[in-house]
Amino acid sequence: MMKIFASRTSTPLFKFNLRSFTKLAQESEAAAVRSENDEEFLPQMPPFAYTPPPYDGPSAAEILEKRQRHLSPCMSYFYKNPLYLVDGKMQYLFDESGRRYLDAFGGIATVSCGHCHPEVVEAIFNQTKRLQHTTALYLNRASAEFADALASKSPGDLNVVFFTNSGTEANELALMIARLYTGFHDIISLRNGYHGNAAATMSATGQRSFKYNVVQTGIHHALNPEPYRGIFGSDGPKYAEDVEEIITYGTCGHIAGFIAEAIQGVGGIYELAPGYLPAVYSSVRKAGGICIADEVQSGFARTGSHFWGFEAQGVVPDIITMAKGIGNGLPLGAVVTTSEIAKVLTSHGYLNTFGGNPVSTAGGLAVLKVIENEKLQQNALTIGTYLKNQLLALKEKHEIIGDVRGRGFLLGMELVTDPELKTPATLETLHVMEQMKDMGVLVGKGGLNGNIFRISPPLCFTREDADFLVATMDYIMSKM
Amino acid sequence: MGLQRNLLNRKTLNNVVKTIWVSDKSNPSSLRRFSSLQQPELPPFDYQPVPYKGPLADQVFEKRKKYLGPSLFHYYQKPLNIVEGKMQYLFDENGRRYLDAFAGIVTVSCGHCHPEILSAIEEQNKLLQHATTIYLHHAIGDFAEGLAAKMPGNLKIVYFVNSGTEANELAMLMARLYSGNLGMIALRNAYHGGSAGTIGLTALNTWKYPIPQGEIHHVVNPNPYRGVFGSDASRYAQDVQDHIDHGTSGRVAGFISETIQGVGGAVELAPGYLKPVYEMVRKAGGVCIADEVQTGFGRTGSHYWGFQTQDVIPDIVTMAKGIGNGLPLGAVVTTPEIAQVMAQKIQFNTFGGNPVCSAGGLAVLRVLDKENRQKHCSDVGSHLIGRLKDLQQKFDLIGDVRGRGLMVGIELVTDRKEKTPAKAETAVLFEKLRELGVLVGKGGLHGNVFRIKPPMCFNKDDADFLVDALDYSMSKL
Repeated sequence: MMKIFASRTSTPLFKFNLRSFTKLAQESEAAAVRSENDEEFLPQMPPFAYTPPPYDGPSAAEILEKRQRHLSPCMSYFYKNPLYLVDGKMQYLFDESGRRYLDAFGGIATVSCGHCHPEVVEAIFNQTKRLQHTTALYLNRASAEFADALASKSPGDLNVVFFTNSGTEANELALMIARLYTGFHDIISLRNGYHGNAAATMSATGQRSFKYNVVQTGIHHALNPEPYRGIFGSDGPKYAEDVEEIITYGTCGHIAGFIAEAIQGVGGIYELAPGYLPAVYSSVRKAGGICIADEVQSGFARTGSHFWGFEAQGVVPDIITMAKGIGNGLPLGAVVTTSEIAKVLTSHGYLNTFGGNPVSTAGGLAVLKVIENEKLQQNALTIGTYLKNQLLALKEKHEIIGDVRGRGFLLGMELVTDPELKTPATLETLHVMEQMKDMGVLVGKGGLNGNIFRISPPLCFTREDADFLVATMDYIMSKM
Repeated sequence: MGLQRNLLNRKTLNNVVKTIWVSDKSNPSSLRRFSSLQQPELPPFDYQPVPYKGPLADQVFEKRKKYLGPSLFHYYQKPLNIVEGKMQYLFDENGRRYLDAFAGIVTVSCGHCHPEILSAIEEQNKLLQHATTIYLHHAIGDFAEGLAAKMPGNLKIVYFVNSGTEANELAMLMARLYSGNLGMIALRNAYHGGSAGTIGLTALNTWKYPIPQGEIHHVVNPNPYRGVFGSDASRYAQDVQDHIDHGTSGRVAGFISETIQGVGGAVELAPGYLKPVYEMVRKAGGVCIADEVQTGFGRTGSHYWGFQTQDVIPDIVTMAKGIGNGLPLGAVVTTPEIAQVMAQKIQFNTFGGNPVCSAGGLAVLRVLDKENRQKHCSDVGSHLIGRLKDLQQKFDLIGDVRGRGLMVGIELVTDRKEKTPAKAETAVLFEKLRELGVLVGKGGLHGNVFRIKPPMCFNKDDADFLVDALDYSMSKL
């Protein structure tokens, strides 16, 4: 599959190999003035030998109208003219007119193997034909085998798995386990973190836009240890003191636990300052609490350097929560913890009806195999690093780019109108995002002020895709 | 200074050191060196306590342990049996006099058994002790009027309760009802009460039982001595905005703080802190509550209310402790607009505003005005703080001297740079001071802060005695 789009044939794109790209950067002004035909300099998408089947369903306008009539009024969508996507294949998506787009967002960091990856599709299909659902009241090999595989991917004594159907469900369960296991109530999470939209997870979430005005008890938000805007720069242990202060002053001295993403997703791809988690984990455990690593976005090889995001900080949590990439788009989530902690749920009944169903777990197992066989973690590391370097080069050129950060295929680019004041360039971000869509690249948006591009493509993203993305961005920003 | 004092108070000084005290002020350490050799004596006081004929300390302690619950703690290794009080002095079962530098935890404002207060209470007791507010009585209205007259802005509606905890509970309820929001914000290191609701506001783990705290969050404490931003109020204030943006739905119920944290160890908020914070909170739909339980009634010297030192006007003010010179009394003062929300349901406090407490409270207001106690706190306070700062030059153990008026704190540290709390030293000195006849308070999370908050009739001689006693004790460490 991968060979199909690895070929380097002669297309206009290859005016834009690395050397000429740099040269372009030097001569871009002159070139723009000189050329009469702008088309010559427009970036072009890498070729892809796949044509989607023709679409003959309702139009975008009809869909939108029905949505507005029947779906939640708070439902929002990207772009001035909402994009109607009807087909997906690996790292590309197709709209109703058959136009191809490069998916650099991955359905919010969810499509790990690639849209409709044949092996994953096959596993799902085979299982669906045999048995879709019975609940865990009965034995089922798929969930057992998948749990085994997940356990083998997890460090330390983390070898008991609970299956849920989403990240929110996984985090809700983790928080409840923490409270039951320790006998305490207070949880510490990070400002700017995102953990879900149910009661406890909404309280753990640290962005006002997602927090409704309802009781959200037992949560304390610690200073966000992020190097770009954070008050202590990259001094991880200094930020960790805030957690110690919360415990000492804001609680009875003991807490249920701490939860954080290794790289904040919704928050705008903020990486935890180095040295942060070891210091915090120590404080939390001393106060009787347990440590929860939210790997919903950073897990499953996405960061390239490690399978799990927290590994980059050299810690081993007590609970790992995961979702999104775990099933390449299947509604699947999981909580992995130690057998000792897991025992706490035996005091009462807990059963997730859909959780661990044969289809989802068969799909999940296939995802793990694909990640391994196709060396997707290595790809995330190599191409992700390459892409980041390209974006950093772009930062030198365009003052509007305040920061480029992240690891592997979890990258962020923050736009600011003033590099020193770091004033969020909210409108400009919207504008660039819109233009990128018009040119065929789909990225995500994040941060409290919506001024951060989130780049979290399917892990099969290639070097050419990276080049195309950067060239598009450069083109649009040069015209601003 | 030393000469003047010497001339006026011969009785308090040992004759041997008299001549040596006449040295220049520019070399205070030489002055102090001599005084530390002599055990200081209490200022004279023309009053004999009634001979005590009741059970002695050991007996009282036994009964206490048996009937008053295991959580009831006490000061001193050998608990002190106090049987009588007069103005700024207390007497134990042996008739021994002590200087009360803690005022029953900042409560005895006018002085123990102040004659005018006693008279007012006595008179009212003879007439009518209690009937509740379902009937009219002049005392409650008079007292409310007296309190409102002391308030700036539109703060003129008064609710009477029976303690600081009750006052803060009520204030929190008002804030939530008025704003329609739930989230409260309080400062780390604060103390606001011991009930389930106010435990949430309180922010010192020693006082917080492991119960759900409700929708309450604590922000970075603007503590000039230990705080991470020193005295930079704007950076501390930024934490409040960050919390509103990230830890709430963007709307909050309110913000509450003391201006000088009491239990937390006499920590004064960094200057200029409350103004920006009040603005941020109000913009997010919240109300601002000033907890004046310890700082109110002129104790800070410079102003009647602690919040005035920060140049703000809160929406709700809570008070207790000094308000009644020891009477179980508390109050909440707010605007008519905010008070309106309480009208939607019935809010009733049986003992609140009873005739005896109201009469006593009104008498307190009168006495404090008549005897010019606020100015007195300012004068004596400056003198006390000045002498303590001199002492700080002499002993490395004194990490910080802070506060204003008669709300003073002395923080002891074993290392001035690391600011390591000198817990053991504080405990030893605490006992030593008692032996010398000085009763101070203790505070701070690590119990390494002396709290000096005496009845507001405490004078300069008392201040000198206290500092001399501290000097003497520290020299002997």
